[in-house]
Order: sequence, then C-alpha cells, then structure tokens
Amino acid sequence: MSLAGIAQESADEMDSLCSFQTGDEWFGIDTRKIREVLGELEVQRVPMAPAFIAGVIPNRGDVLTTLNFRALLGLPEREGQHPVLVLEDEEQGERFGLMVDAVGGVVTVRGRMLEQNPSTLAYRGKALFDGVYKMPMGLLIRIEPSKLRPMRLAEIGLLRSSSRGE
Amino acid sequence: MDELTKEFIAESQEGLDRMERCLTDLEQRPGDGELVGEIFRAVHTIKGATGFLGFNRLEKLAHAGENLLGALRDGRVMVTESLINGLLELMDGLRRILTLIESTGGEGTRASDDDSRLIGLLVALNEAGVSEALQAAASASPGVEHVAAAMSSVPESGANDKTLRIDVEVLNRMMNLVGDLVLTRNQILRTDTVASNFPELARRLDGITADLRETVMQARMQPVGHLFKKFPRMVRDLAKTCGREVRLEFTGQNTGLDKSLLEAIKDPLTHAVRNAVDHGIEAPVDRVLAGKATEGCVRLKAFHQSGSVVIEIADDGAGIAMERVKAKAVERQLVTVEQAATMTEREALQLIFLPGFSTAAAVTHVSGRGVGMDVVRANVEKVGGSVEIESRVGCGTTLRLRVPLTLAIVPALVVRSGGQSFALPQNALMELVYIPAREMGTAVERIGSAQFYRLRESLLPMVWLDKLMGFAPGVTAEREGLYVAVLEAEGRRYGLVVEELLAPEEIVVKPLSATLREIGLFSGATVLGNGTLAMILDVAVAAERAGVKASEIAVVDAVVERHEAGVMGEASFLIFEDRLGERSALPLNAVVRIESVPLAQIEYASGRRLLQYRGETLPLRDEGGVIEELRAADEVGGAAVATILICAGGADGMHTTGRVVRRVLDVSAGRLLDDTMASEGARLALVGERLTTVSYEVDGGVVWGEVA
Repeated sequence: MSLAGIAQESADEMDSLCSFQTGDEWFGIDTRKIREVLGELEVQRVPMAPAFIAGVIPNRGDVLTTLNFRALLGLPEREGQHPVLVLEDEEQGERFGLMVDAVGGVVTVRGRMLEQNPSTLAYRGKALFDGVYKMPMGLLIRIEPSKLRPMRLAEIGLLRSSSRGE
Repeated sequence: MDELTKEFIAESQEGLDRMERCLTDLEQRPGDGELVGEIFRAVHTIKGATGFLGFNRLEKLAHAGENLLGALRDGRVMVTESLINGLLELMDGLRRILTLIESTGGEGTRASDDDSRLIGLLVALNEAGVSEALQAAASASPGVEHVAAAMSSVPESGANDKTLRIDVEVLNRMMNLVGDLVLTRNQILRTDTVASNFPELARRLDGITADLRETVMQARMQPVGHLFKKFPRMVRDLAKTCGREVRLEFTGQNTGLDKSLLEAIKDPLTHAVRNAVDHGIEAPVDRVLAGKATEGCVRLKAFHQSGSVVIEIADDGAGIAMERVKAKAVERQLVTVEQAATMTEREALQLIFLPGFSTAAAVTHVSGRGVGMDVVRANVEKVGGSVEIESRVGCGTTLRLRVPLTLAIVPALVVRSGGQSFALPQNALMELVYIPAREMGTAVERIGSAQFYRLRESLLPMVWLDKLMGFAPGVTAEREGLYVAVLEAEGRRYGLVVEELLAPEEIVVKPLSATLREIGLFSGATVLGNGTLAMILDVAVAAERAGVKASEIAVVDAVVERHEAGVMGEASFLIFEDRLGERSALPLNAVVRIESVPLAQIEYASGRRLLQYRGETLPLRDEGGVIEELRAADEVGGAAVATILICAGGADGMHTTGRVVRRVLDVSAGRLLDDTMASEGARLALVGERLTTVSYEVDGGVVWGEVA
C-alpha cells in the first residue's frame, strides 16, 4: 500500500505507537505489530553475520535474528545490554528482534499528523522510515516492521560493509 | 486460495495416492472388485467436489474417468495393460490440474492444458474392444517418455508437506499434558523456592515436560510407508522402460520416522530404488541364463535399530562386479592401477561413493548421468545418517540407509573460541586430540601457510575456529596447548582447533532465519544448559570454507594403507591395563571412543553390567574386576569414575561393547606374533617392543583375550 494510501485512509483514525529512542531520535512502531518488549538483555553475536545484525536471542522456543538499529542508522556501536522489541512481519509470518537504545511508552497519534519522508533525507533514512509524526514534543519517526525484515535488508544491500573478513 | 479449495486439493491428492497404490495392485490382481471400488471412489470424489467449486476442466476429465471406471466396475471392460496405462495417465492428468490449481489458483487456459487427447483415450478404452483400445493407446500416447516426463514434472503437493494428519488420541494426550503443565505452573506461582513441596513440584514439571516432548515427537512420526507408496508406480514404469521384470516387496511400512527426515531421505531412497531396478536387476534373458526366475525382486525393508531407523534396499540382481568397479575407478583416475590391484572387495565397494563414479556401461535416461552414490551419501549424511553397501556378484546388492529417529535433538560437543560457544554435532566428531605446547614443534607441520597435524601417520589439515569465524587474532595467541577436534563430513576430514572444550550436551536444534542461513557456516542454533545460545557449526561447509578438499586420493590412500598394514601384520594398538600389571591391547580401529563414566551410571541386569550410551545399551566387560575395586575404594563419595573403551565389534561394526579398564597407557604401532603363540582367541603382539595380549575378531564376533 502506498504511503499516500495509508495517510488518506487513516487520516482521522487514531493509531497507537510504541515509542523508542536510538541515538538522539525518537521512533514509533504500531503496537499491533509488536509481539513483545524485552527488557535489557545480552544479544548473542553471530560471527560472519552482516553488520546490521546484532545477533540472536532465544524467544518462545525460537531463536530470533535481532537487528542492531544503531548500525542501521549508521551510529557507532554501544557495549552492554539493550532492550529488544520482538516484531512480526505478518506477510511472511517471520518474527525478529530489534535492538534499540531505550523504550519509551505508548503514544496515540492521528493519521493526519503523518508527514512523508522529507526529500532531503539521506537514502538510508528513506529506505527505513515510513514518515514523520509532528508531535508537540518533537518529531516521531514512524517505522514499518515489514521494511525492517532482515531478508529485505540483506537484499537491498543496505550496509553491505560488514564484519565479514577472512 | 480459500480454505475449501485447499482442503479439496489435499483430499484429492490423498485420494489419488490411494488410487496409485490400488492401480498397481490391480495389475497383479485384476479380479479384485474392492480395488476397483476404491479407485472409482477417488475419482468420483474429485468429480463431485469440482461441480460446486467450479473447476470445469477437472470435472470433464474426472467425468470421463468415472465413466470408464464405472464400466470396469460393472465388468463391461476388462483389466488390461493398456487400461492400466490409461488410468495411470488419467491420474497424472488429474494431478497436473490439481498442482496447477494449487500454484496458480486456476486450471490453466493454455493450449497445452487441453485434455481432449486424454479424454479421447479414456472414451476409446471404454467404448471399444481391447484391440481398438490398444491402438488408441499406441497412437494417442507418445508412451513412456510422456510418463517419465510427468514423473519428474509433477512436483510433490505443497499442501501435503505443510499439513499433517494426526491421531486424535495423540492430540488429546497432548492437551491433557498441557493442562497438567498449566496446573503445575499455577502451583509453582503460588509457592516459593523454599517451600517444602517445591522439589516435588519441580519433579512433576520435569515429568510433564518429558511426556510432552515424547508425545509431540510421536505426533511428528510418520510411517515410512508414506515414502514407499510411490514406488510401485515408479518401479513399474521404470521396469517397462528398461525392459526388466521387477517385483517390489515391502516390510516394516509402519516404522515411524520424523516427518522432516522422511522428506530428507525421499530423494536418496528414490535414487537407490532406481539404481536397483536399472543397474541391479538384469534383463530377463540374462536372468534365465544365470538360472534365476525372469522376474527380479527389489525388497524395501524398514526397521528400528539402536536409536536409528534403517531402510534397506535389496535386489536379487547381478551384484556389483568388482573388476568393473576397479577398472572404472582407474579409468576415471580415482585410483592407480597398483592401488586397485591390492584392494579387497570391501574397499573396492567404497569406491562407488566417490564423486563422479558410475558403473553403468551405457548412460540410460534413468540413471548413469553422473549423479551417483556420492550424492546419496551426502544427502543422508546431511541429516546425520550413514550409508552402507553390501554386494555379492550374481546374488544381488543391499544398500542400507541409516538415519536418526529425529533431527530435533542431537548429541553435540560444546566448544569455545573467541569467547563464544559453538556446538559440534557428535556424528561428525571422530576424536579429540590435545597437543601439549612442548609437542607443537614436532606434531604440527607447515607447508606454506597451511598447517597439518601428524595424526597416526597421516596428515590432518588444521583449521582454526577463531580464524574461520573472523575473530580478531591475538585474542587466542598465547596458549599452552592446542585442542583439536577431528571432524569428518562428506569425505572431508580435518582438525578443528578450538580454544576450550566444554561438556558434551544433548542439544535442541533451532532453525535460523534466512539471513543467517546465508552465512552458511551454521546449521542452526541451540540454547545451552546455562541459558546462553550457541551456534551449531555446519561441519561440511566449514571444511569447504577453509579449503579442505574431499580428497578421493586421501580416502583411497587410507584404505590402501590399512590394507598394507594388514598384510605386514603391522597395526596401531591402543594399549591399556585391565588386569593388574598386565599390558593388554586392542587394534586401534576397533576402539571408537574412550569415555569416563561415573560408577553410578553403570547398571546391572540379570548379572550383567550394562551402560546406557547414546541411546544404546552396551554390555560391559570388566576383565580386571576394576569396577568392584573402584566401588570398594569409593565408599563415601560415590563420585568415582571408570574408564571405558567403547569398542565396535563384528564385521558390520554393529555390536558395540564397552570394556572397563584400569587405565589407558599409550597408542603405539606393533606387530602380531605368529599364530603358534595364540591361545583361546587371544594373540600376543610386540607393541612398542613389549609383549602384549591382543584381543581380536573372529568370524564377525569379538573374541576377547583370555589369559595368555
């Protein structure tokens, strides 16, 4: 569905987003697409994996691939434990984790507050972001989990430069 | 696609599967009315449902088939070969349409999707007499090629792979167990860990978990017969193409095997059956000349054996001619003429597992296209199984595929490198070697940047796990010695250098996401006992990445070396002490592993000592009364550990036994002394220039050394 389509249909609908922080920015993901919010935990690294993958975590009997959101945004890595959001891509039925700096709370937004990605945004942002909400306290960047699907990220070649090396 | 259509497709496929079975049976027993009824019902059900689902093409074809089957049921048409062929074509036609519907949602409208020829054939079979029907079949059908094409082009139904029929009884049991689980959880939530009934609750939880695991595994088990059922048709078509007469026999169809494994061995098994018909069974003329019945027999047999499922494919054909195998291997430059000349039959048989080997004198369109036994073996090994072959010229060939019961839980060794844990599957692990720092200079050889370890007179390529994983060097620079895990997969053998060896564990394999699978080095991940995750190393891929080649020469060299050693009476022995002060030895190749086992794990049954070992029950031999001594010395702690040699015995290596020893002394080369010194099955040998009693094998059974 195109971005304009989303905006039109949901112009007056209320959406609840879960907000989280990475770097200096705040982001939001539709709460219906979040399966679970895990507290601070250690993510097991996977050798030879692309840089945007933080590693794997055990979750409800499965081993989930976990993305490093800082790496996706091109920020330097931070040591230690981080909260992880468990997201689900409904089309593919694939669950995966998203490692972020901090989790905020649930915010309610109106569809009409959504602004398309500003045209001056870097390519990296365009590929990941879904638009921006103009909130009273600042901007909230909307993230669509299906755009973060690990396989898609691997395919579009974003951040190919990885820790791969002999 | 809506639920109704999905269900319809799954049901129809099942009906067609039944029809296939019945058709091949019908050819054997033409008068069986029940079979005809069954086939009729399958087609009738499809036709009935198509009406309201709106699949006109399917309906037309099914209708034509139903008319013919109706006539057959009423006895107006007789069972002939051309009739069976026609019905098989009808079945293929129906399958094609179903597959089309499943993948595209529609029945197809292209010119090639026209069934008029097939319908014409069915009508002709119905209306005309046998002779005319025969003509129609001959003119209308391009014959066998068509069938062969259909065989390869009709993919397995996706619906069948994703859905599973399960006994309601099993489902009920699962539900009950889940209920228990919830109740126990509720109780645990209400108590705390210091409460007096906590241990009891924990025990109950443990019991429920075990039961639940078993029940779920049971639910995933499918009878092997599911795999077998497509073979009658395949063998029938194949036999026709190759001009053979073949009877197919089954035993043990009800043997259960995990669904995912069933899928995994489908291709290797199909290949093996094709081989048996195409290469194994001779043409009828040759069979008569050899004094056998014109009809050859292929037997498929499935059974459980010590924690694994064995599927045996046996034919009573010509067997594998060793001379031809050797000649071929020399021609393909897999071995030299000298090597070939000194090979025993058993060694020569192993040659057919080398890549690029095929003995088919002529390349037929069925087999002999280079996709050979090496692929069969690789596929079976991929799921942790093994392949064995036995053959006698003139009597036939038996191929055995051995696969584990389930893929979900595998024994593994956990190792560490670069601060991370990795799991190595035990089935690929040959042995563990520790190289102390002082021996590093002599034991590790260098050629350029490659390093090798001298393992019993052969060079073992060494692969550093941390380098393989791209960890920064330096993390593991200084160490006192090297731990080397000797691994083998798909004919590649190498030593993996790891930083630290942790415990062996039964691990539960979790699949990885597609992104991580792309790395290739890992076949999965697992949660260890301490709660952390470990990646499971794909031993074959790791070898490939590190540049370890599946060297045919090395395999053959090893075989020849062993052979030569046998001629000279020279061999490597494991020397140990069991009776106090006496040196005993076993040929090194007879010892599979050396285990340290807590005394508490040794069990007794009707006066025999037994050890539960990797799902098998091993009889233990304790020549020197070591266990009693240990027990006596260990009144208090109960923590005493016995050293046990796990020995493969028997010609087939099947009868594993354990031998309790006081201590292991050394590994050394030695020479057996003349038979004149032998007594009661034991022989003396000079090992390391000292007299040593050697137990050795006689007639497939292990004969143990008595006092010399």
